[in-house]
Amino acid sequence: MTAQAAPLSGQDGPSARPVRRRFSWAWLGLLPFGIFSTLFLVIPTAYLVIGSLQDKTGAFTLANYSGLADPGIVDAYGNSIEISLVTAIGGGIFGFLLAYAVINGGLPKFLRSALMTFSGVASNFAGVPLALAFVFTLGRVGLLTVFLRDGLGIDMYSSGFSLYSKIGLELVYMYFQFPLMVLVIAPAIDGLKKEWREASDVLGANSYQYWRRVALPILTPSLLGTVILLFGNAFGAQATAYQLTSGLIRIVTIVISSQMRGDVLFNPNLGYALAMGMVVIMSASIAVYSLLQRRSERWLR
Amino acid sequence: MTVGFGPRAPGALDSIEGNAPRRTKPRPRRLGSIVWWIVFLLGFLYFFVPLFATLIFSLKRPPFGDAFVTTVTDSELLGALGYSFVVAILTVIGSVALIVPTAYWVRLRLPRLRPYVEFVTLLPFVVPPVILVFGLLNTYSHPPVFLTQTNIGNDVLMVCAYIVLSFPYMYRAVDTGLRSIDIRTLTEASQSLGASWPRIMWSVILPNLRVAILAGAFLTVAIVVGEFTIATFLGRQTFAPFLSILGDHDPYEQAAVTLVSFGITWIAMGLIGFIGRGSRDRIQVAGAH
Amino acid sequence: MTTTRSLPLLMTLGAGIVLVAAACNGGGGATTAPTGAAGAASWTPDAALLASAKTEGSLTTIALPHNWCDYGDLLTNFKAKTGLTINELNPDGGSGDEVNAIKQNQSGGQGAPDVIDVGLSFGPKSVADGILAPYKVSTWSTIPDSAKDKDGNWYGDYYGVMSFEVNTTVVKTVPADWSDLMKPDYKASVALAGDPTVSNQAISAVWAAGLSNGGTLDNAQAGLDYFKALNAAGNFVPVIGKTATVASGETPIRLAWTYNALSDNDSLKGTPPIKVVVPKTGIFGGMYVQAISKYAPHPNAAKLWMEYLYSDEGQITWMKGYCTPIRYADLKARNVIPADIAAKLPDTTGVVLPTLDQINKASDLITKNWATTVGATVK
Repeated sequence: MTAQAAPLSGQDGPSARPVRRRFSWAWLGLLPFGIFSTLFLVIPTAYLVIGSLQDKTGAFTLANYSGLADPGIVDAYGNSIEISLVTAIGGGIFGFLLAYAVINGGLPKFLRSALMTFSGVASNFAGVPLALAFVFTLGRVGLLTVFLRDGLGIDMYSSGFSLYSKIGLELVYMYFQFPLMVLVIAPAIDGLKKEWREASDVLGANSYQYWRRVALPILTPSLLGTVILLFGNAFGAQATAYQLTSGLIRIVTIVISSQMRGDVLFNPNLGYALAMGMVVIMSASIAVYSLLQRRSERWLR
Repeated sequence: MTVGFGPRAPGALDSIEGNAPRRTKPRPRRLGSIVWWIVFLLGFLYFFVPLFATLIFSLKRPPFGDAFVTTVTDSELLGALGYSFVVAILTVIGSVALIVPTAYWVRLRLPRLRPYVEFVTLLPFVVPPVILVFGLLNTYSHPPVFLTQTNIGNDVLMVCAYIVLSFPYMYRAVDTGLRSIDIRTLTEASQSLGASWPRIMWSVILPNLRVAILAGAFLTVAIVVGEFTIATFLGRQTFAPFLSILGDHDPYEQAAVTLVSFGITWIAMGLIGFIGRGSRDRIQVAGAH
Repeated sequence: MTTTRSLPLLMTLGAGIVLVAAACNGGGGATTAPTGAAGAASWTPDAALLASAKTEGSLTTIALPHNWCDYGDLLTNFKAKTGLTINELNPDGGSGDEVNAIKQNQSGGQGAPDVIDVGLSFGPKSVADGILAPYKVSTWSTIPDSAKDKDGNWYGDYYGVMSFEVNTTVVKTVPADWSDLMKPDYKASVALAGDPTVSNQAISAVWAAGLSNGGTLDNAQAGLDYFKALNAAGNFVPVIGKTATVASGETPIRLAWTYNALSDNDSLKGTPPIKVVVPKTGIFGGMYVQAISKYAPHPNAAKLWMEYLYSDEGQITWMKGYCTPIRYADLKARNVIPADIAAKLPDTTGVVLPTLDQINKASDLITKNWATTVGATVK
């Protein structure tokens, strides 16, 4: 499919002097990004690492990390991972479908820009306003709850549903997960050249075969990458969950917040250790993603 | 492989725009069209019913629509929202200026560094804003770089923090966009025509990344307008802190403001998208076979 | 119902009586003498202090919502009387945020607060952390001893009582006591105003519930048990009760400090109508304290602010916000409280105010066990 031009960089092994100079040239291109990241990202994160190894007086200690074994905290990590995974996969699937619908699904063109711009706003509609919006909709006296109960005779709450549960929280999280998926996967869907579909049709393939053999393999690295993004997005969310469950469903971000800022519990060093745990989990998922991406990118060669 | 200038040759970018000229027989109507309408409808309901419920709540205070009247006449709201938008635009500019060249360069010249750069751009995801802002305060709230001393310094710090927050989204969007265009060929062709690096970035790469950059820009604007923690700790009266305080003493106005700001931000996004629709004369590559 | 009155309360009353007698003989310091029953004299700033504050130019406050104890009026009046500007940080912040702000801005700058208003337990904690600057206001002697640090590092400012904020459109029979909340009439109605692992107000609600349930100030376990039962009965709504959720009917009964509930009633202006009920038993008081930061960029402005808050005018403005000011006994004895304001203050007879040790112990117990005791049933 793609005839690659000869690679520009000195990837074909070291040779004589030009390669050394080329390498240092290339690295210069990363300098602005490198400096900026160091100043505003790496240094604050360093505080995080150092702080997690200190106690309140500044002495070195590993107690914060051993504190992570506390069952309440393990539970918090479990909840966070579960909620993030569910909303990442669920959000990924429906977000992808939604994006595909407006881009390639034969809908009127204005719907595409409407959905894109709406997604821009909705992807960060979180915290108290979002929680309240859902309370007004699906709370015990919410619009939809009342409508279903009085209009259609379906009483959600007596059948066991509650907005103030993990399921409810996941449902609310989707409000910013779907749009995020839509926005980030759109360029990839655009990259599905129409010629490929036409070629596949001409060769006699049906829709299923097209998807299985052409579209999905091409989209997989982007899909995976975006799902990881969604996972991280959900993992880091805090304000919405806080408002909706008043801390009864313990997730890591709320525990961190209460350690760093609470009126009562006050052990910022434990907070740093918890955050380090988050970094480890995210790094693990990024590593998994990189592995999968390298495998699936072979399809593009 | 064809490279076309001037009058637009039909190519890959047209399909991105959705403007593919009809050159063969009309495509057979895919069975899925109904399915896609249903998908869209479900999405529409999911997104709009909660907004509708918020609207109903905001109208509850008599006289009818009073909460909206208070909203429109609230000068503090305009100030906070305007301030947030200005900060958002500055953040987008900074983020694009930093990320696009970086992503491009990494893809082109330093592919082995890509996992590391990706990791750095994903760090802001993992580090909770509370901890990021604590780290920033620890670093910049005293000499030598005493940014928090002045209001301008705090503003600068906030914009830089927001640029950092936008990294994951902007990088992912730009990277996805770069994946679907053949930057090697474009770059080589441009270089063979004598273009300098800035020219390549500005005239060749950026236009081809329009969709991706717009997606990243949308996300960044939304992040900045909705961001609460960092603004609060730096003492900046942006929109999100304002909204939070409002809710404590006037929930109806808070609901009205939520909806109004949702609408305004949506319109702003639409404007950005419209402006970004830009010039038509650009170099295109008609798909690599 | 507690069988013994708390010591602090006795001391407060006793101190009040003694000090009234002393005040009749002593002078008033920098503040002007009260003019009598018609109302307190308005505050005029001490000239020397004002001059040095003016060279600083402004005051930086933190975590002072305008409708919390009528800080809105206090801030406006202070600006008008002194000509200083006020830089208000983080109105939504909690006590932890205020202390963090001091610690993180030790070199000054825009983010460094001059003065803080924090929960009682933060007073001694901050002294131990070494971040406070002592100052004794001119009306120092009229502040009860139990409510201040002897070296002047922190001093109580006001207190409120845990109450039920009831949306009477949704709740037809208004509950009168903690035990009423368990009734099936109040299914899915009761919520806390915060997260009990984070918010002082929420912890106090849990503790207060326990007081009427066989608990004491020394043992808050009864409070946890109460909420476990409340949750099992289906009456507890595990969402953070906000003005919006009270108004929408999602949490028609919210457990909040009297001053918050009453100011909600004011701001909602009858849509919906709110009734604030101080429960018959388990009347629990929570006190806040003022302090000046050691690293205050404007120390003289800070002192001037304190003089204002502890003047008669300042204290009465707090009463306008439904908070019971710490010099209440003194003001009442000198008969300087305007009648209309006195009428609006909720009746808090029988209030128990916990000591520092009790607060620390109860907070520890509640924050550690909330999720496991009550959360177990919330899936």
